[in-house]
Amino acid sequence: MKHLLLLVGCLGWAVVSTAQPNCNLYKTPGNDSCYQACVLAISGFGAQGSMFSQMRFQRAIQMCPTLDYAYMEKAVPYLKRGDWAAWRPLIDKAVALNPRAHLGYRAWCRYQFLHDYEGALDDLDRLDTLFHGADIGYGVNGDYHLNVARGLCYKALGHKEKAIQTIEAQLARKGYSPMMFDYLHLGVLKWETGDPDAAIECFRRSIEINDYLAEAYYYMALAYKDKGEPIAFKRNMEQAKDYYTRNRHMGDPYTHHADRIFLADIERQLKG
Amino acid sequence: MRYAKSIVLFLALAGLEQGCRSALDRKETAQAPLLRHVGDTAFDPKLDDPNFKVCNPERAQQYYAFDGLHYEGEKPKIETHFKNRFKNKPKKGESGWLTIRFVVNCEGRTGWFRVKGVDKAYQPKTFDASIEQQLLTLTKELNGWIVGLNDAGQAFDYYQYLTFKLEDGRLLEILP
Repeated sequence: MKHLLLLVGCLGWAVVSTAQPNCNLYKTPGNDSCYQACVLAISGFGAQGSMFSQMRFQRAIQMCPTLDYAYMEKAVPYLKRGDWAAWRPLIDKAVALNPRAHLGYRAWCRYQFLHDYEGALDDLDRLDTLFHGADIGYGVNGDYHLNVARGLCYKALGHKEKAIQTIEAQLARKGYSPMMFDYLHLGVLKWETGDPDAAIECFRRSIEINDYLAEAYYYMALAYKDKGEPIAFKRNMEQAKDYYTRNRHMGDPYTHHADRIFLADIERQLKG
Repeated sequence: MRYAKSIVLFLALAGLEQGCRSALDRKETAQAPLLRHVGDTAFDPKLDDPNFKVCNPERAQQYYAFDGLHYEGEKPKIETHFKNRFKNKPKKGESGWLTIRFVVNCEGRTGWFRVKGVDKAYQPKTFDASIEQQLLTLTKELNGWIVGLNDAGQAFDYYQYLTFKLEDGRLLEILP
């Protein structure tokens, strides 16, 4: 299951980071160089981050300096490999050329890779103005709605009540299907703000949606501990350990999610 | 005619690739090792331990290609290492992200450390030397990196990075 989730995550990256433009849109009189550049950019020659692949995107940019897709794709390997100074001007160029397509992506990357919470919130606020209340979409790895990511930014900056309101508003939004970590994060927030009963209800919802995460049992155990229920604490903590040792926990190949736990956390609690 | 543009494009791509390879070949003869990918590092005798061997630098992977950060004791072990040893150097303006990129070789040893910093506006930044030197030394001390193994059980080298989020000289977070 973990590998399936990772695969889904990677596919999410692959799909969104290579959300290819329809090159036929460039097939207009006098725009042949952009059409050719687009075809070159999406051709897929060369492994991501290879010199050949990077030269291909650079060539596409030279042929069509307004081809936002080429800037975005050229930026991706710098992001994944921690070269923030090289990543930023390229993604900024893509955003400047096509903010509706790339601003949410940049916000997500600032949140996920750099924990640049203020920066991500700036981008998300600007995205709201671009979308005029319409759905602003999902993080590129497919695990989060951007409004949930916004809530996690608020939490990281110490605004937990605002984080709760933000996540609850998204969950209440008509037509929204909860993602696999939504109720987990909401439950942790409820627990951290002194409401273990509401937290436990959230963890139960999380388990109903996705009974795969050691984290849901770990935090549920802590909520029961706060309620003075040692048997429920131990039962859930041992369940968390069982899941964790079978690789059933939050995972991402690039970074660590918020509220991710580790085996040492569980063992410390069990020794406690 | 229907396929003419496709053929031209294919030939252009092939030519580009060939030109690329030729450039690489020329570079290879002039200065080894070859930098084939974004983020690749070349041995620098002024910086690097000559005893550190990268088993197959041309086939070095990225840490994320095999399920993320691999360290004995997982990320908490790394965080504890820095938390217990890093001495915060409160200094206004020492804010941003300092990244140390390195190779974990096929034996799990580390080398070829490179440091890059950016400020909060993502502009290149050189951090206070005492901050940079501490983080570099502590990163070099980490000895729990897990060897990368392919499906056939063969060990490979991989690139890893650690990014340190700093606010006025205080260490806030370690990424990824």
